[in-house]
Amino acid sequence: MSVPRARLLDLLRARCELFSTTFNPEGVRTGNKILRQRLKGPALASYYPRKIMTFRDFQEEFKPLELEIENDAELDRLEHIAALKARGKGTPKKKREKDGKAAKK
Amino acid sequence: MSMFRAKKFDLGCFTNIKVIRDHAKRKAFEAAEAERQALRYIIRNTTLPARTRAIAQLQLTQMHCYTRPTQIRNRCIFGGKGRGVLADFKMSRYNFRMQALAGNLPGVKKASW
Repeated sequence: MSVPRARLLDLLRARCELFSTTFNPEGVRTGNKILRQRLKGPALASYYPRKIMTFRDFQEEFKPLELEIENDAELDRLEHIAALKARGKGTPKKKREKDGKAAKK
Repeated sequence: MSMFRAKKFDLGCFTNIKVIRDHAKRKAFEAAEAERQALRYIIRNTTLPARTRAIAQLQLTQMHCYTRPTQIRNRCIFGGKGRGVLADFKMSRYNFRMQALAGNLPGVKKASW
């Protein structure tokens, strides 16, 4: 007992209508699977944690309350640079184009 | 490609140039994803004229390489390493061990039987 193809197609069409899928009995490649895919950009772009606050923001936040916070790491750095400068081992000053001749070669 | 980087540095984890680069690629991909998907749809759709599809293929291949998802690689957020990174924890295996032993990862404990 075989079912005629036309009847099967009707069933398929009705099913597609019911579940709002595309009626495509020949299985033609319409690229719909690309449209069905979800966008994964937002998930990929949020991989690395973002910078929330810098130490300076933190200091600014407490300034209205007249609370001062010292950034120990920054103070250490400045002290180290001052020590280098005192020994004459600091970084050279940036070259300026206007005064003096430009470096040869 | 510095044009894909944020104008203001916006990373809060370990950073080196590789991490910055990967982050830029992720953002570039996010920005171009809709366009890429549209082109991919045109290419895959066999009911469209062959010329349209060929043009779409060319356009897709000529997009900047930073907009390709295959350029993205998970890197360790503690050391920037690109290999041996556990995707669930975003960490390389050594950093994962250190953090787990320090008790910083909820639910992770050393197996023993």
